[in-house]
Amino acid sequence: MIELHRVSKVYEVGPVKVPALTDVSFHLGKGEFVVLTGPSGAGKTSLLRLLYREELPTEGDIEVLGQPVTELSRAKVQTLRRSIGVVFQDAKLLPGRTVYENIAFVLRVTGTARREITARAFDALRAVGLSSRAQAYPAQLSLGEAQRAALARAIVRQQPLLIADEPTGNLDDAMAAEVLAIIKDIWTSGTTVILATHQARLARTLRRRTLMLEAGRLVKDEG
Amino acid sequence: MLGFVVGEALRDLRRAGRVAVSAVVLITLSLVALGVFWVLSFNLGRAVAEWRDRVRIIVYLKREPSPAEVPALMQRVRALPDVAGARYVAKAEALASLKRVLGKDAGVADQLPSNPLPASIEVTPTAAGATPDGAGALIQRLAALPEADEVAGGAEWVERLSHWQRLLATIGLGIGATLALAAILTVTTSTTLVLHARRHETEIMRLVGAPEAAIRLPLLLQGLVQGLLGALLALLALAVGHHLAAPWLEPLMSLTIGVPRLEFLTPPGMVTLLAAGAGLGAFGGWLARGRRGLA
Ligand SMILES: Nc1ncnc2c1ncn2[C@@H]1O[C@H](COP(=O)(O)OP(=O)(O)OP(=O)(O)O)[C@@H](O)[C@H]1O
Ligand SMILES: [Mg+2]
Repeated sequence: MIELHRVSKVYEVGPVKVPALTDVSFHLGKGEFVVLTGPSGAGKTSLLRLLYREELPTEGDIEVLGQPVTELSRAKVQTLRRSIGVVFQDAKLLPGRTVYENIAFVLRVTGTARREITARAFDALRAVGLSSRAQAYPAQLSLGEAQRAALARAIVRQQPLLIADEPTGNLDDAMAAEVLAIIKDIWTSGTTVILATHQARLARTLRRRTLMLEAGRLVKDEG
Repeated sequence: MLGFVVGEALRDLRRAGRVAVSAVVLITLSLVALGVFWVLSFNLGRAVAEWRDRVRIIVYLKREPSPAEVPALMQRVRALPDVAGARYVAKAEALASLKRVLGKDAGVADQLPSNPLPASIEVTPTAAGATPDGAGALIQRLAALPEADEVAGGAEWVERLSHWQRLLATIGLGIGATLALAAILTVTTSTTLVLHARRHETEIMRLVGAPEAAIRLPLLLQGLVQGLLGALLALLALAVGHHLAAPWLEPLMSLTIGVPRLEFLTPPGMVTLLAAGAGLGAFGGWLARGRRGLA
């Protein structure tokens, strides 16, 4: 499902080179649930962004859902992205649209038939327990609700792969546990999940395969 | 998907607000300028064409040939280059048509002791013979006929009319093009504003894998809508202007250039105007595309 071979990523900020990932290789099978962990700045977000080609690696090969990510044309990249649900670290909810509209937006721009949109959007909202807040604007949501709205948007197209970058970001333990339970449900229904978190304790409670990054290097792969 | 693209385009227009309105106004102005000069030049063109057809050269003869001589003379005239047709007018026929012109005063002509009018040949030149140069050469050839007394006619003033027509068309194109340039830049600005306003939407669309068309088409479309709207307004303004100006201009035209009606744009002309507006708008939208990181 996901294959990284000796991947490195160096950001160039003007003349300064910022190494974010160094020589990372791993394989992730279909239906797996893997936790990506490591301290802040270790390169978790950078790694995830390579998977849906928001960034290109400086070195190495990446394969996602059978596609050689680095070699895809622009149109093929868009096709690949339609198969991947992403919860972004910064949520990226559109402030001018309600929760429902944010989710419907994704369906509309990816060509879902108009008559299916409402039902599918509400299915996703129910899955994260947010149907009652459908008409709220992002600014009117609590942090936990916003995270769940972002999660609903990521799963609404029922993609085979879910990438979740700090989906429990600033939540308290109870709220975090609730969001993780939802993600586990999604995984149980057959979706492959890769979840990044800097909260080591949280990573342990999940008791799944864990990849640990430190300063851009993969230092542990266990479980 | 089509509904989405159209809906986004309308939303974009609202977002561009006043700049979009300026763009529409500029497109209207440029097309009105083009349209006014087009209509005028088109009508002048009709006059030119009509007068070209009516160019006649009259060869007055030294003496009236006998009826037996006429066919040979006419054959010689018709054989000359640039002659499309020729008609013999006998002295009697000339007097008869003079009387027709005089109408109730025809009695004056009856009092003449003899017919003072010469026999003549009315020559219709070909298109080449109706240009000033062609007509000049033809007049020389006709004057060289031994039977010719005097040759009258020419095409200079038709050409002067046609010169005016071309001048008018050029001025119209110049003004229209200048305004069109301003219109394109304004559409580009309004589209850039739209791009800025919807950068979050665009980012999400890209990240969730929306096809390129869904990202770009609304931009093109909102430019196109601005252009089409401008063109429709221009067409309306032109129609109203024509309706108001025609009663004033038509008597004047009829007197000066002999064309009694001020024709409006033909249907293909109107379609061309609309297409030009749509083209201007879409081009402006397309120009903005590369400017702000859509790619
Ligand atoms: N777009 C960028 N340009 C330049 N440097 C970047 C960029 N994105 C990340 N970095 C750098 O790359 C390194 C890894 O960042 P990254 O965001 O991947 O870490 P992270 O593990 O996700 O951290 P956190 O847990 O805080 O989210 C950091 O040093 C960061 O400053
Ligand atoms: Mg991160």
